[in-house]
Order: sequence, then C-alpha cells, then structure tokens
Amino acid sequence: MEAGAELITISRDTKFVHLAWQREEKMLEKVKYTMGSDPTGCVSRLFGVYDEQTGLDLRGTFIISPEGKLMNSEMNFYNLGRNIDELLRKVKANIYLGAHGDEACPVKWQDEGDKTLKPSAAMVGRVSEEYK
Amino acid sequence: MSENCCGIKVGAAVPDFKLETYEPSKGDFGEVALSGLIADKKWTVLFFYPADFTFV
Repeated sequence: MEAGAELITISRDTKFVHLAWQREEKMLEKVKYTMGSDPTGCVSRLFGVYDEQTGLDLRGTFIISPEGKLMNSEMNFYNLGRNIDELLRKVKANIYLGAHGDEACPVKWQDEGDKTLKPSAAMVGRVSEEYK
Repeated sequence: MSENCCGIKVGAAVPDFKLETYEPSKGDFGEVALSGLIADKKWTVLFFYPADFTFV
C-alpha cells in the first residue's frame, strides 16, 4: 500500500480463481497486492468473518501491527462496500502512532501533519484547550 | 450456533497463520505467513471479501 503497509486480500476462492479473476476483470488490471486464498476457512474463522450459512467471508478488514497485535477491525455485511479512504486514513494513523507512542489521533485527524493529542493528567477535563 | 463467534479481539496478539496466494506482481502463486511479515517489520492489512467474480 502506498501508506506503507502490506495489503493482503482474502476470500475462500482458490489461488487459481484469483489468477483467473485478476486476468479477466479490467478493474483489477493494475493490482499488485497479494491475493490470499482460504478455501478451508481456517484464517477466516480465526478473524470471525466466516459465515457458516453461506460458506463465504463477510467484508472484514483488519490492521495488524509489526509486533503482531490486532489494532483495528471493521466488519460489513455483503451489500455494503468499504471506504478505502477511511482505510488509508486508519493505516496512516496507526503507522504514525506506532512511531509516537505518547500521542493519540483525535476525531478529525486525516493525515500526517494534522494535530495530535498528548494525553496527560494536565489534559483531563481540559481537552477543549487543545482546540483553541 | 451460526454466529461469528471467536474472532480475535482488538488489542490481542494475532496467532501465526499461513495462506496460499496468487501474486499479480509476479504472475505466479506463492505463500504468505504472518510470522514472515512480522520478521520483515511490516504493518499488515487483511481485507476479507465474499467471492471473486462478484460485485461491490
């Protein structure tokens, strides 16, 4: 990902179907990311996206830190696509916060360079001061 | 029970897993493991979706 993370898409399709789909679908022409295959549903069950009723995965997105910790999770039903701008925002925020352990990204944080908060005892009940 | 129980909780350590892959950048099949990504100090985004050749 341009934000600096490794993107892996995953479905229950085999790697052969991924190859055929990427080759066929013009919208996927420029794809460079890894297309993961989970036909047994093992990884899908691990992340709680596996739908026993259909045998397919729900639209789940998970961000994992370089230390192997799950930092974010989002899950949508089949009919609602995810917002890629929001995903990029969260990835950038996570990468920034990984390097600045004493800071937090407030509600309107969009991109590197935006204002962050340094939570402390002095800020308790005084967060409005940060936005003056 | 047909609910999605037992997903990993945010804040928890993710157990190692391995997947077979197709790599469009190489035009070939491959394999990816979380332990490898951690060894390379990468942030990882997993993007699950229902099925190839569908919409949305």
